[in-house]
Amino acid sequence: MAAGGNNRSRLLLVILLVTSLFLITLDLRGVSIIKNSRTATQSFLAPIQRGVSDLFSPVGNFFSDIKNFGKTKDELKDLKKENAKLREKVILNKDTLGELKKLKGVLDLAGRGSYKVVSGRVIGKGSASTFSQTITIDAGSNDGVKKDMTVIGEFGLVGVVKSATSTSSIVLLMNDPTFRIGVRIARSQSIGVLIGEGDSSYTLQLLDPSGSIEKDDVLLSLGSDNNKPFVPGVPVGYVKSVKNTSSTLTQEATVSSYSNLTSLGVVSVIISSANGGPKDALIPRPMPTPTTTIYVTQPPAVETATANTKAPKAKN
Amino acid sequence: MNWTRAGYSALILIFFFIVQETAISKINFPISGFSLYLCVVLGLMALEDRFGAIALGFIGGLILDFSPSSDSPFGKWALILTVVGYLFSRNRESIGDFTERPVAFVLFVTAGATITLIIFLVTGFVLGENNGAVIVNLQTIFGNGLWTLLFSSVLLPGLIKLRDLTLSSRERI
Repeated sequence: MAAGGNNRSRLLLVILLVTSLFLITLDLRGVSIIKNSRTATQSFLAPIQRGVSDLFSPVGNFFSDIKNFGKTKDELKDLKKENAKLREKVILNKDTLGELKKLKGVLDLAGRGSYKVVSGRVIGKGSASTFSQTITIDAGSNDGVKKDMTVIGEFGLVGVVKSATSTSSIVLLMNDPTFRIGVRIARSQSIGVLIGEGDSSYTLQLLDPSGSIEKDDVLLSLGSDNNKPFVPGVPVGYVKSVKNTSSTLTQEATVSSYSNLTSLGVVSVIISSANGGPKDALIPRPMPTPTTTIYVTQPPAVETATANTKAPKAKN
Repeated sequence: MNWTRAGYSALILIFFFIVQETAISKINFPISGFSLYLCVVLGLMALEDRFGAIALGFIGGLILDFSPSSDSPFGKWALILTVVGYLFSRNRESIGDFTERPVAFVLFVTAGATITLIIFLVTGFVLGENNGAVIVNLQTIFGNGLWTLLFSSVLLPGLIKLRDLTLSSRERI
């Protein structure tokens, strides 16, 4: 009996393994039914994600808030004072305000670059078990979003549209290990390839061995044919450190991105770009140093006269 | 496992898949994310006999293959979880009934989740996929294992009760 059960299990195992391998083969050969299945799932999940997004936005950063509790303890006193003042004011939705701020930043960047954009709210993130870095936004093909369009945040590049349904799109983030983008160093005009590493750092490989690369160099997107997948001139990141490796043919550097990919609320998809792109118009400018202006006002005439009479005649 | 129970189990898994994709994925867990779905699949597999574990592994994997954020070929998760289901059932037989040994159950599911992700990475490597830096992958596996260990102790009693609902009166005996 047990042997019969084992044989049955082994037969099932073989059948299911063969079925799995068959599915993998179909997918790798690009059979459309398999490819469209994930898009269909995305269409089904998008409305739920949108609904849950509102519910989970305060919960999403719960753990990081706990982690920072010790650091913020000192600020608690000041915040209580501030809170008392804020109670008198109109209560506004903090989440909406945060999104508005990000949206303003994104639209400002898009405006400076003369990009035509469609903005979308982030409604989902890629599952931890897939090892891929993606987000889901609530803008889809109905809004003009198509596959292979550049996605920007308030400070620069965020990623590229991986797939789009009628109401939502999946964006492959720039820190995904499969992400590659051609970049141009604003200072030296050397070109290279930026590679995602899965975390917050990136690797830049210069294509020209004699190219110049220095710390804090600004990287802009090089652009692609017909602006797909990347439009030119989008700020990508800055050089954190240059790797001194004599063993490699090309120069390499570690890069930090301008966009904080862990706190994306609103992003914009670039639908079209002006001819030739924004050139270097989007290079992030350094913050201006605050200057103090002193206004000198003349004292009233009577007081001046009194002061003159009382003042000791030191020079005489 | 009969067809009716396979259907009920699939419905349970679809529910947890939707929860995973729409809600759990939005939480920024320290170290790395937590896969509730994987925890549930492995928990249910651990309660089944060999035939059931293999079948459930395939069904669970097939559902996970529908994940829109996945870059892997369709069928990869089905392949991996079928293999894991078989490995689970082989080892489970030597441990005995999990419902009477909750600590062993939790540890078994945690180890299973870790091994599943390792197999996923190795299979990806064989298929020529780029899964990124090794340290980041190790961090993901470790983080998921840690969260599975913490949450499974809370989730698994409920999961046992949920599974009991799918059993026919004959299977309960």
